[in-house]
Amino acid sequence: MKKNKRYAIVLDTRKCIDCKACTVACKAENDVPLGRNNYRNWVDDGELRGAYPTLGQSFTPSQCQHCGNPPCAHVCPTRATEVSEDGIVHVVAKKCIGCKYCQTACPYNARYYNEEIGAVDKCTFCAHRVYNGRVPACVETCPTKVRTFGDINDPHSEVSRLLARNPSRVLKKSQGSKPFLFYLI
Amino acid sequence: MSRLSEKKLSRRRFLGLSSCALAAATVGSQVKVLKALARTGDVDELTAGPGQDVFTSCGMCVNKCGVIARVRNGVIHKLDPNPNFIKSRGMLCARGNAGVKVVYDPDRLKYPLIRVGKRGEGKWRRASWDEALDLVGKNLNELAEKYTRAGTMFASTEGTFSEHFFLQLAECYGSPNTVRHPSLCLASNIQGFGATFGTSPTPDVFNADYIIMSGANRSEALITPDSVDMLKGEGGRRKLVYLDPRFTKTAAKADEWFPIKPGTDMAFILAMTHVIVKEELYAKGFVEEMTVGFDNLAPHVEPYTPEWAADECEIPAADIRRIAREFAAAAPKAVYYQGRRSSFFANDTQMRRAMAILNAVVGNWDVKGGMVPNSSIKLTSHDYLAPWYDDVPGRLDKDSATYLSEKDGSWVTFRDRVLEGRPYPVKGMMIYKQNVVSSVPNRAKTLRMIEQMDFICTIDITMSDTAWYSDVVLPEATYLERQDPLESLGGILPVVAFRQPCIEAMFESKPNLWIMQQIAKRLGEEVYEQFDFTIEEHIHHQVKHNPKILEDLKTTGVYYEKTEPTYGKTLGKRLKTKSGKIEIYSDKYAENDLDPLPVYKAPEAVPTRRYRLLVGRSAYFTHGTTNNNPYLHDLMPENTLWLNVEEARKRGLRNGQMVRVKSAVGLETLKLEVTEKIRPDSVYMAHGFGVLSKGLTKLHGKGGCDAALIEEKVCPISGNVAMHETFVEILPA
Repeated sequence: MKKNKRYAIVLDTRKCIDCKACTVACKAENDVPLGRNNYRNWVDDGELRGAYPTLGQSFTPSQCQHCGNPPCAHVCPTRATEVSEDGIVHVVAKKCIGCKYCQTACPYNARYYNEEIGAVDKCTFCAHRVYNGRVPACVETCPTKVRTFGDINDPHSEVSRLLARNPSRVLKKSQGSKPFLFYLI
Repeated sequence: MSRLSEKKLSRRRFLGLSSCALAAATVGSQVKVLKALARTGDVDELTAGPGQDVFTSCGMCVNKCGVIARVRNGVIHKLDPNPNFIKSRGMLCARGNAGVKVVYDPDRLKYPLIRVGKRGEGKWRRASWDEALDLVGKNLNELAEKYTRAGTMFASTEGTFSEHFFLQLAECYGSPNTVRHPSLCLASNIQGFGATFGTSPTPDVFNADYIIMSGANRSEALITPDSVDMLKGEGGRRKLVYLDPRFTKTAAKADEWFPIKPGTDMAFILAMTHVIVKEELYAKGFVEEMTVGFDNLAPHVEPYTPEWAADECEIPAADIRRIAREFAAAAPKAVYYQGRRSSFFANDTQMRRAMAILNAVVGNWDVKGGMVPNSSIKLTSHDYLAPWYDDVPGRLDKDSATYLSEKDGSWVTFRDRVLEGRPYPVKGMMIYKQNVVSSVPNRAKTLRMIEQMDFICTIDITMSDTAWYSDVVLPEATYLERQDPLESLGGILPVVAFRQPCIEAMFESKPNLWIMQQIAKRLGEEVYEQFDFTIEEHIHHQVKHNPKILEDLKTTGVYYEKTEPTYGKTLGKRLKTKSGKIEIYSDKYAENDLDPLPVYKAPEAVPTRRYRLLVGRSAYFTHGTTNNNPYLHDLMPENTLWLNVEEARKRGLRNGQMVRVKSAVGLETLKLEVTEKIRPDSVYMAHGFGVLSKGLTKLHGKGGCDAALIEEKVCPISGNVAMHETFVEILPA
């Protein structure tokens, strides 16, 4: 955990080709159990727009938004969900009783129940890598480098520069959860 | 019956070499990020710790990307991209990431197996290596005695760095009958471009301002670095025009998508050429200096107007005209990107010629953003001297195509001749990692060919459909468990790739070289002598002219000599064509009674109540080995048959229902996917499902097999298959 840091991911979804490299890298890195319903990281291939032959489609990679105001943490009866000073939201497996209330509360459907550890599980921004000076597995592996990871409190970081240069949006802003995944427009 | 040559050389050549073993590289320095190529800032450092980080190369598809295996306590925990590997731009795709599961797949072959039931029945017994190898040796010797050495065919595929040893075995055994993947893939592409430029160039996607892709689904059929570079211009500068009967993920990224009528790409290209020639938008100086036969081109393309092409390919004439003008205006930083699937029609080679000529006339040859001839990094080749047997006839498929590759052959015609037994019988099959049952069109015919074989041995890592129909199955160590020869990957920025063992080979699996040596031993001293070296000796021999290659590979996992492309090295020089210039008009073709300029032939019309069957690739599945992988299987557990919404409505078919798909050669049952993403006259299914082998437990019983349906039409010039010339009927299941 790093003081005075606020980690975030900026995504340029225009570059996303929905190749699922991130999804598989995340599963392999974090021992996410097999099964289509177990995931920390995914790509939403959206609704196909239009009708043949005028079509359009967008791909939206997503994961835990590491919210500034995380609804999951507020509802947890055992305070299993904690937020580090650097903004990384994580589940303390030992404290989790598996009530799945947080799964219901998450506006982004970013949590799943991990049968193998008997607790709710989700993206941690690959904290184990980040604290060793590396970037999350999904960020590193992405062929087209859709994601940029970094400290938003540092004005010289790539994430800050991207946000300064480009307009961006967050998902489900109206929920008031203050997500820290920013999507470039 | 056989007589050995007097000459002997290969073994001696190795003896003077140092035989120090290659130590697995542990921690490498992070080289400065390559200018403008790899992404800055986020490159990963190799971590020290209780484990080891091992540089190696991905073996999941043809790209051979650089990988760092994170090994902890003897177990591969994770495969990460090697940020130094400039060809893949420091990325690893879904398949690459899923490679961990290849090693720990419960379905992998663990020890040699000998068939005990009928072929394809799935009854096996475990055998010792000695017993299995003795059986292979015995059969190869008996087959040689009975049918000459040409009576055994050797089939293999590209992508495994060890294929060289297998082909060496074929040659030392004495069989001319090697059959490889190119005629199922890109033989026509290589022929068409080669006939024009003397070589098959690479489009400089990174620097091109205007790209037209037809039949190259680079968001899904990933090719490094093109799939990455393709999106570089997003947001303005770059334009991508994409032609495909399907709305793929590449279509979703393109500036313009046209659902071109399958098999009519050449009409589009000729019409573009018509506009560019007619409106004098071509590169005049370049054409005059560097090409021959332009004078013949103008009258040749005269009838191919955009209006004519519009009727053929169902793309509006105004768009064709506009695109031609835009393309010429962007030239020379404009490329007509040659895919592999684009045509897959019997006139494919001529279509490739048309593509090459269009590129040539806009003068994009060997310039930044154009079509750049490949560079390569030289490795000292492994010479060996194959024994000579004087009673062996020529290739079985000799003269079956105008330009047949001696080493690759033409799969479909080869199979036909095996079945006819003419001009001589082929009764033995040695297979190294090629899944011929699932990849050669008309599966039923392949099975008939297999049925008439006296002996079949397959070397693979899983029980592919081909292994399933074999007599002996030998387990190879996976790409993460073996030391392979160095591999020089040509391209605009060539690299040398390195593959070393990350863990010890599991179960009783063995590296290819060991297997080849053991078989060679059983073929006699003369054959074995050619294999009397270690992999370490082989590698040191490869770099004897430049030991830095190996040093760099050990410390960074990749070797390269430059980070910026060199352009123009062929300009003003003789090209490797007969005239020494770019051949718009091909005398060589004319002499062989082939059209010297590409002549359009319309594809056969789709019969009523039938659809054209299209094949394609996805970013998670490409080859037979990827589909049974648990991580990838999770993403897509079965394939579906894509059918246009309107057609489904007409036929009264519902999304998700099971359908029977029937062609002239087969019948498959799979789920229907009703979608807007395909032309009404075509259907599509992903490759690699509908397997026969029960040894692929995740896949068996899932989806349908494309090879079971596709008819075996062939391009007569290159011997390439024409995978898109099959019509199917759809019936409710």
